[in-house]
Amino acid sequence: MLDTLNPQTSHDTFVPAWSGVVRHLHITPRAFLPMRAMPELKLIEGIGIDGDRYMIGREEGFYSPKPEEGRQVTLFEIETLTALKRDHNIDLAPAEHRRNVTVEGVPLTHLVGKKFWLGETLLQATRLSIPCKHIEEITGKAIFDPLINRSGLNCKILQGGTVRVGDAVRNAA
Amino acid sequence: MMAVTVKTIVETIDDGGAGIKLFTLVDPDRWELPPFRPGAHIDLHLPGGMVRTYSLCNDPADTTRYVVAVKREDAGRGGSALLHDAVKVGDVVGVSLPRGGLDLAEDVTRFLFVAGGIGVTPFLSAAAWLKRVGRPKFTLHLISRGPPPLADLLVPLLRSGHLVIHDTSVSARPDIAALIGHPLSDVGLGCCGPESMIEDFEQATRDWPANRVHIERFVPPPLPVDPDAKPYTLALARSKLEIPVAAGQTMLSALLALGIDIPASCCGGICGSCKVDWLEGAPIHRDRVLSPAERARSLMVCVADSAEDRLVLDL
Repeated sequence: MLDTLNPQTSHDTFVPAWSGVVRHLHITPRAFLPMRAMPELKLIEGIGIDGDRYMIGREEGFYSPKPEEGRQVTLFEIETLTALKRDHNIDLAPAEHRRNVTVEGVPLTHLVGKKFWLGETLLQATRLSIPCKHIEEITGKAIFDPLINRSGLNCKILQGGTVRVGDAVRNAA
Repeated sequence: MMAVTVKTIVETIDDGGAGIKLFTLVDPDRWELPPFRPGAHIDLHLPGGMVRTYSLCNDPADTTRYVVAVKREDAGRGGSALLHDAVKVGDVVGVSLPRGGLDLAEDVTRFLFVAGGIGVTPFLSAAAWLKRVGRPKFTLHLISRGPPPLADLLVPLLRSGHLVIHDTSVSARPDIAALIGHPLSDVGLGCCGPESMIEDFEQATRDWPANRVHIERFVPPPLPVDPDAKPYTLALARSKLEIPVAAGQTMLSALLALGIDIPASCCGGICGSCKVDWLEGAPIHRDRVLSPAERARSLMVCVADSAEDRLVLDL
């Protein structure tokens, strides 16, 4: 039993593998406005998403007065939406969590500090997102507490490009 | 610091007749605006810090515009005069997220609305929505002294048989109790108008179930607050300032309203951005990050409250 739990053994013999997919893409040009579903987004290296509120140069997001490179693009797990329904009976649509990219099959919490491919773009995860109380005001749903520790991932864009719904998400070596 | 309003620009200003102007507000990129319910209202944040509340007049399905009708009230508090005189097409106006509106319960088969004068505005968005959806049925009684306001917007409702105008310059004011009739479980009621009309309406609906009666006042009641919340004074030791904090208001909003730049992020007591040291008093801590030892010295202004009349912060 002890052997199977030995962390050294696990690291040497087991490399976690995952592969994910982009399910939804959303942007909005300003704080509070509804997120709009897009078939594709243009990610600009070191800047952000073309047309989004947190793109450097636009800066019309709720947190824009406090710039942070990890807001260039934000991701959210579609599995969290399933969990909100299952555990809290809350219907939250992909447009309502207010992150840009909804992914499936991607362990976002494992990726902090790591690089990964989002379609043809290369991202580096900077930190886990923190839910914001004003999302309850916008959606009218009590989702602040249920989103603690699973509110998405903040990333900076190391290599830009176009991301499309259906694109693969994969680890970068 | 934080953007606290929805940024809109004035797209058009139209004459609504009888001292009324219709302001159409849009996003600068014509993006969709936050959605609203039929009969909802928004706050307009006007130059000089004035905040005024107006009902939305357009169909909630019209997702890119907020239309408000503003009657100039020369004896009012100055908001309508400012809008009429100083606000121009192209101006930026910050607005709140929409609030309120009708409870569109599935089991309501008919709405009956009673409006006085410019009080017709919340029922214009409701009527547009109900006409488009096709249910429930509705009748709008508009009581007006002389020609009704916003005549152009009323013509379609008059033609479709949804509107009854009671002109009190040519006939007696109708008996509101008679308009409403006896309580019916499948009928929803709405009223907006001058205070005397609302009092009559409240009297006439005292036997109706509360969830079937909707009242919109010209001056909306304050937002519901925790019944246990109490006002207190926030003293800033280093700045030598005293700030009143209203019952239910956050310390953060009181500080921001005074122009004090406090870093804040989640506004829910978990991110730790707005930590401030306190010196005297009895804070009520509602954050989820500070340890008991830290709470002896610090608090999070986004969620903390005060158990006493005065709390001193190290600011």
